[in-house]
Amino acid sequence: MGSEVTFRIKRFDGEKSYWQTFKVPVYRGMTVLEGLYYIKENYDGTLAFRASCRMSVCGSCAIKINGKPRLACETQILSLGSSNIDIEPLDNFKVIKDLITDFEGFFKKHEHVKPYIIRKDDNYENPTEILQTPEQLYAYYDFTLCIKCGACYSVCPAAAREDYLGPAAITAAYRFNADSRDGGSEIRYALVCGDNGVWRCHFAAECSEVCPKQIDPAKAVQKMRVKAALHTIKSIFGW
Amino acid sequence: MKVQHDIVIVGAGLAGMRAAIAAAEKSRELSIAVVSKTYPIRCHSVCAEGGTAAVLREDDSFDLHAWDTIKGSDFLADQDAVELFVREMPKEILRLNSWGCPWSRLEDGRIAQRPFGGHSVDRTVFAADRTGFHEVHTLYERMLMYPNIVRYDEYFLTSLVIEDNEVRGITAIELKTGDLILFEAKAVILATGGAGRLYGFTTYSHTVTGDGMAIAYRAGVPLKDMEFVQFHPTGLVPSGILMTEACRGEGGYLRNKLGERFMQKYAPERMELAPRDVVARAMYTEIREGRGFEGPYGPYIALDLTHLGEDRINERLPLIRDAAMKFAGVDPVEEPIPVRPVAHYTMGGVHTNINCETTVKGLYAAGEVACVSIHGANRLGSNSTAECLVFGRIAGEKAAEYALSKEFRHAPQEAYKAEEKRIFDEFLGKSGDESAYQIKKELNETMDKNLWIFRRAEGIKEAIRKIKELKERYRNVEIVDRERKFNTDLLTAFEVGFMLDLAEVVAIGALNRTESRGAHFREDYPKRDDVNWLKHTLAYYTPDGPKFDYIPVTITKWEPVERKY
Amino acid sequence: MSWTNWFRISGKSLFGIAFSLHRLTGVVLAIYLCMHLTYLTSLKFGKEFYESLIKTTVSPTFLVFDILLILAGVYHGVNGLRLILHEFGLAYESRRTLLYAAFVLTLVLWFVASYQMYRFVMGV
Repeated sequence: MGSEVTFRIKRFDGEKSYWQTFKVPVYRGMTVLEGLYYIKENYDGTLAFRASCRMSVCGSCAIKINGKPRLACETQILSLGSSNIDIEPLDNFKVIKDLITDFEGFFKKHEHVKPYIIRKDDNYENPTEILQTPEQLYAYYDFTLCIKCGACYSVCPAAAREDYLGPAAITAAYRFNADSRDGGSEIRYALVCGDNGVWRCHFAAECSEVCPKQIDPAKAVQKMRVKAALHTIKSIFGW
Repeated sequence: MKVQHDIVIVGAGLAGMRAAIAAAEKSRELSIAVVSKTYPIRCHSVCAEGGTAAVLREDDSFDLHAWDTIKGSDFLADQDAVELFVREMPKEILRLNSWGCPWSRLEDGRIAQRPFGGHSVDRTVFAADRTGFHEVHTLYERMLMYPNIVRYDEYFLTSLVIEDNEVRGITAIELKTGDLILFEAKAVILATGGAGRLYGFTTYSHTVTGDGMAIAYRAGVPLKDMEFVQFHPTGLVPSGILMTEACRGEGGYLRNKLGERFMQKYAPERMELAPRDVVARAMYTEIREGRGFEGPYGPYIALDLTHLGEDRINERLPLIRDAAMKFAGVDPVEEPIPVRPVAHYTMGGVHTNINCETTVKGLYAAGEVACVSIHGANRLGSNSTAECLVFGRIAGEKAAEYALSKEFRHAPQEAYKAEEKRIFDEFLGKSGDESAYQIKKELNETMDKNLWIFRRAEGIKEAIRKIKELKERYRNVEIVDRERKFNTDLLTAFEVGFMLDLAEVVAIGALNRTESRGAHFREDYPKRDDVNWLKHTLAYYTPDGPKFDYIPVTITKWEPVERKY
Repeated sequence: MSWTNWFRISGKSLFGIAFSLHRLTGVVLAIYLCMHLTYLTSLKFGKEFYESLIKTTVSPTFLVFDILLILAGVYHGVNGLRLILHEFGLAYESRRTLLYAAFVLTLVLWFVASYQMYRFVMGV
């Protein structure tokens, strides 16, 4: 509709970071991701960013927009209420190039909590139907919606130290502990109990504020703390 | 640089991950590599919404599911493959259940099923309306349990290494460093997905550019039935984001400008739940005849969910409500959603047999990249996620059996060196005056215009001419980014090249097929022609363009009849 | 990750600010604790020495610092109680209300305590 905004992007070429400005024509409903593609296609093809589904289910495009981590594909430019859009890569992640950050560690932490169903009767060849009532499903369903975008991890103050497991991983551990089909709760308590685990959370609760799917990782972490504390006490006394 | 594995799986979507799990279950001794250009949970499979069809309960039967699928395919499906497919499906659902997939449930705890287009019985198993998302995460999490599966995330496939018609491995660029890696393997499974980004108005993710299909095609593997592209009736206007068929399955209506449920005229029995090609053509006809709504982003049809009530929408269609509000500014509880048919699925693909084997020994293909064919000329909803699971499993097992029985052979070093030279000297160092993005834009425009739902010879010929022109211009494309590290510009240039190859096959195949069947509708040949055209199209690569051949359809029980809904 | 990240104020919401203030007041109180212990240890050197220290620091000039110290202490205590409640897994849904209540309670207790301190130091 004739208006224009200024994108200021924090770029990184492997050695130094610098800001670069682009003017982008904007229409009603245009998203920040569309703005980034516009810049890449019309101004500078070297601009590197991750994007895939453009419908906020894949989690690729989480970046800092005007200081807050958001999914670029679902953030409408005109809803930001400013004609200057500051784009930066997520905090607490090592930057590889421009807006692309290193997610290896993030996924390794997720793997660390054994985020899969642990059952004694794991029958691959001839599975049986395990029942689960709707109430049992709702007990953990909201926590399954995590798209592993990394926004929670980037605002977590505890994650400033690299080894913290992070809200997403601990939420995944809680999701499985709360699933009625799983039998591995005790194993996971032990895994989240360490120096890099639940004890590092001091309820800044920023994770819940920025989660694009509003799944409340802070709640999951608190619930895991209580259970983990009980688990630790029990294991000290050998109960 | 090179690495060695027994099996290399390219693509970590539903089919790729299922194949990895199947191969790992077959033998813990096998070393399995999963190579993908994004992290596994960022694959396009997460966008799937509606569900996965399977025969679970007493009121359903394998024959009925098979018949629905075959009739839906307009009788182009290979019936032996369909019969195998429907029999393997129920166990896949139960396995996913045991692996943690949060299926939606009935009150008594059993897995729930919903109605879907083209299915005679409610057999679509679902997880709210984020079925693909949950299935992908479940498979990914299960895959973490196997120590012999090694993941190579953000590696971009550039070529297949084939010697004496046997596969020796693949070459891929490690995006983080920009280096070319040679993966030597006994067996390779392609699970790289479809080619939807050929079109501009599409439900597909940005990453779905037909890489595996195009590379296999260039390596001499034939592509089958490429002219059949499915147009899903309800794509959100203007983004193209999918509004699942489950909207109609849960009772939604399609209304034209006059407020009528126009499907009454086209499919009086099934109404909105007729197969997708029937509904898409109906909607487009309504628009062409002036009964569509006019909007700032073009004409549209109204998908009306307002009578379902907020509770049902929040329970069964939460993602739809969220997407409609975020991407179209419409709350489905209050108003109808603006939709239009959108490019959604590639029925065609790499030619495989019922065991997922291609014409190259040791090379397998599963999922949307493959064409077995079980979807024929039109796919039923909730059959694709199902296909990925069943044929992903079969490909994994067959590849594992092959790898266990075969001796390892090194890949020829010349292949690696030649590929390095091609990419880094010829491509990366290129300057030119064409922009890959501009070429892609023009390709999308011509495909949207001429190879859409209603096709005619003049339009298709125009498209073929344009594609040839774009291919000439592509030879002069410029790669602006000169750095090796995470060079997204180089990747885009590759992807555009792949899409041009595939577009040519789609267009010429569509021109040759002088009939209308399933999703391929010719206005100049509006009838189905079983006498001349009950056969699959095969396209082989030659430097002058695709060379075509035809093979018969396997028919076991069901003879083609008139397809009415 | 560089150690300077420890000082970065994370997040823009009131929760993140509350967390950063909790950290800041914690450091202030820790430093104050050292000073306080030093003072008490000074008793070792006799009553006069201790009382001279008290006369210097418990005076109108230092009143400002004392009032700020009270703010730090009250904030850290009240916010701490809020955190303890949540870390037992309780009242998560009312976290916003509790946050506002903690700030309000801090201010109220601070005013009351500061007023008392003012009256004591000024001899009013």
